[in-house]
Amino acid sequence: MDVNAVVVLMDNLWVAMGAILVFFMIGGFILLEAGSTRMKNAGHIAGKTIFTAGIGTIVFWAVGYGFIYGEGNAFIGLSNFFYGDYSAADGGLTPAVDFSFQVMFALVSLTIAFGGFAERAKLSIYIIFAVLFSAVIYPIVAHWIWGGGWLAEHGKQDFAGSTVVHLTGAMAALAATMILKPRIGKYNKDGSSNNLLGHNQVFTALGVLILWVGWFGFNGASTFGVSDGFLGFVLLNTQLAAGAGAIAAMFTVWAVTGKADIPTTLNGALAGLVAITASCGFVEPWAAVVIGLIGGIMVVFSMKLFDRLKIDDPIAALSVHGTVGVWGTLSNGLFAVPALSTEIEWGQAGLFYGGGFDQLGVQALGVVASGAFAFIVSFIILKALDMIIGLRVSEEEEIMGLDISEHGSYGYPEQMQEKHANLTTAATTEK
Amino acid sequence: METYESIKHWKDQNISSYLDTNQSLNDFHDQVMSKVLDVAMKKLSKYNIPCEFTWFITGSGGRLEQGIVSDQDHGIIYAKSDIESDAYFLALGKEISVGLNIVGYPYCKGNIMSSNPVWCKSFVQWERQLFNWMADESWESIRYLQIFYDARELYGNTNYIQELKYSIYQYQIEHPSLLHRIVANIKHVRNAIGPLGQIMIEQHGKFQGGINLKYAAFIPYVNSIRLLAIKEGILECSTLQRIEVLNGMEIYGNVLEGCESNFSNLLNYRMTFLNGASYDDTHYLNVRLLTNEQKKEIKRILKDGKSLHDQVIAQVLQ
Repeated sequence: MDVNAVVVLMDNLWVAMGAILVFFMIGGFILLEAGSTRMKNAGHIAGKTIFTAGIGTIVFWAVGYGFIYGEGNAFIGLSNFFYGDYSAADGGLTPAVDFSFQVMFALVSLTIAFGGFAERAKLSIYIIFAVLFSAVIYPIVAHWIWGGGWLAEHGKQDFAGSTVVHLTGAMAALAATMILKPRIGKYNKDGSSNNLLGHNQVFTALGVLILWVGWFGFNGASTFGVSDGFLGFVLLNTQLAAGAGAIAAMFTVWAVTGKADIPTTLNGALAGLVAITASCGFVEPWAAVVIGLIGGIMVVFSMKLFDRLKIDDPIAALSVHGTVGVWGTLSNGLFAVPALSTEIEWGQAGLFYGGGFDQLGVQALGVVASGAFAFIVSFIILKALDMIIGLRVSEEEEIMGLDISEHGSYGYPEQMQEKHANLTTAATTEK
Repeated sequence: METYESIKHWKDQNISSYLDTNQSLNDFHDQVMSKVLDVAMKKLSKYNIPCEFTWFITGSGGRLEQGIVSDQDHGIIYAKSDIESDAYFLALGKEISVGLNIVGYPYCKGNIMSSNPVWCKSFVQWERQLFNWMADESWESIRYLQIFYDARELYGNTNYIQELKYSIYQYQIEHPSLLHRIVANIKHVRNAIGPLGQIMIEQHGKFQGGINLKYAAFIPYVNSIRLLAIKEGILECSTLQRIEVLNGMEIYGNVLEGCESNFSNLLNYRMTFLNGASYDDTHYLNVRLLTNEQKKEIKRILKDGKSLHDQVIAQVLQ
C-alpha cells in the first residue's frame, strides 16, 4: 500500500470518527436539556431526542442530503435522493463516510431547534417538525453555504457550521418559543420572571462535557482529512475558545449578579464552542481566546435580554446557538488570517488583517439571509401547525408533566408519582 | 371580654396610626402582644399561676426593630421548676403562640416560641441551658445564644433576663474563645454591592429588582453591634441603644462613625417603602422606587454595613 493510499484511509477514518463524535453530541444534548429542565419532563426530553434523531436520519437520507449536495441551482440541490452511493474512496472520502458525517450535523441542528420547544410542546409536533426541518429548512441553508449555493459563491466562511448548524437551529427554536409562549409559572402578573430551575446541574455539566468532546469531531473532522495535520490546529482553537467562554461567563455573571451561577458558566463553555465553530480553521489561537471570551460574555447578557423580552428559552438555546452563533460567524470577518483565507481562496482576510470590510460584509449577509430564511420558514410551518392541531399541550398536561401526559410514565417514577396522585386528587375534589 | 380575634381587629384598625416612626410602631406591637398575653393567661385562669415569671420577646421584636409584619419569637423564664410549673408555663406558651398567630404574627419557623420547651424554662434551667450552649459551641447553640441576647421582657420580673445576659458576659471574659465562635457564626454576609459597584438585586421572582434589606443591610449592622454588646456586657436590647452605649467608649469611636445615623435611616427606609402585606414584603426594597439620591444613600449604608462588620470582627479577633 503506497503512502497516498494510507493517507486516504486515514482521512476516511478520521472523518468517520468525527461522525461518531458528532453523533455522541446527541447524548450531550440529552443530559444538557434534561438537566436544565424539571424532573416531570426528564423522560420525555431524553426519549424525544432519541426518536427525533431517528426521524431526522431517515428524512435526511431520503431527501435532505440531496437538497444540499445534489445537482441543482443556487437555491437548492435536486438529486442524490435516497442516498446509496457505495463507491470506494477515489483519492478522497468515500461518499458514505461523507454522508455519515453530514447527517450528524443535521441531527445536531434539529436537536438545537427543539430546545425552544422544551416542557410544553406536543409530541406530535416534534414528529412533524422533525420531518419538515430535516427535509426543508436545514438542507436549504446548508446548500446555500456548503452545497455550492449562492452564499458559497460569495466566499462565506463557516468552517464547521456556526451558521448552518447553530444559527439555523436557534432560529427555529426562536420561532417555536415565540409561538408556544412562556411556560406556566415563568412570568408573574407584574412582569417579573421566575427562575424555573433545572432539576440536575450534574447532568447539565456532564452534557456540556460530552458536547465539548463531541465538538472535536464537529470542528476537527471538518478538515475532512489528516494529511497536513491541520486538524491539530483546529482542535487547539476549539479547546481555547471553550475554556475562554466558560471563564468569561462565570466572571461576568458573578460580577453582574454576585453569584458564580453554574448553569450560566456551563452555557459559557458552550458559547465558546459555538463562537469558534465558524472560525476555528481561519484564525490564530490568540484570536480564538478572544472570540471565546466575547462569546462567554455575550451569552450572559443575551440570556438576560431574552428573559426581559419575555421570550422563555428554557435551555438558553437562543443565546448559546443564536446570539453567539452570529458572533462566531461575524468574527471571521475580523480575525481571519490571509494564509487561511485569501491565500487558499476561501474568502478574504478579516478586518484586523488588512482585509477591509469585505469578509465582514459577506459574513453578515450570510447570517441575515440564513437566519431570516430559517426563522421565517420555521415560523410559517409552526404557525400553521398551531392553527391546525395546536403546538402546546393542555394546561393540565403541562402541570402534570410531559412524561406522564405524552408517554404514560415518569422518568423519575418514585419522585413524581406522589405529586401526580396529589394533583389528581385535587382535580377530582375541585369537581 | 377581649379575644384574639378582637385584638386582631383592633390591630388591623389602628396600626396605620403608628407608622410615623420605628419607635411608635414597635410600641404598638408591644401593646398588641401584651394584650395577647392577657387573653392567654385568662384562658388558663382556672389554674393558679404557680410562681413568678417573665415573658420575653426576642429577635427583631426584642430589639425594637419589627417591621409591619413580623413572625413571633418569644420565651418564658419562671422562678422554679416543678411538675405543676413546668406544665402550666408550657401550656401558657402554647396558648400565647396560638394567640399571636391568630392576631397576625406567624409561627416562627425556627420554633423560637414559648410553646417549645427549649424556650420555656425555669431560671435555673435557663442558666444551665445557656451554659451548655456556650460550652457546646455548636453552630446551632451559638445562634440560639445570640437570639437570647436580644431578649426583652414584655411581662414580669426584669431581673431574670438581665442576670442571664450578664452570665453570658462573664462567661466570655473567662472564655475568650466564645467570641471567636460567635464571629465564625456571623462571618458570612450576603454580597450587597457587586464587583462593579452596583447594588445587588434579586434576579428573579416576585421581588425581582429588589434588595433584600434583611440580609444585605440589617444583618451586618445587627450582628456586629450585638457582638460588641456581648463583649462589653451591654444589656440594652435595641441596636440603636447599643450603638449609643458603645459610642461612649473611646475604642469604638472610629469603627462606629456614622453607624447610628445609617441604622436609623435604614429603619426609616423600611418604614417608608416596605409596608406590604406579607413577612417577605417587608424585606425587599425595590430600587426602582428610589430617587438617585436615595439609591446613593442606600449604597453607602450597604457599603458601610459591610465595612462595620469586617472592622468589628477584626477588632474582636485581635
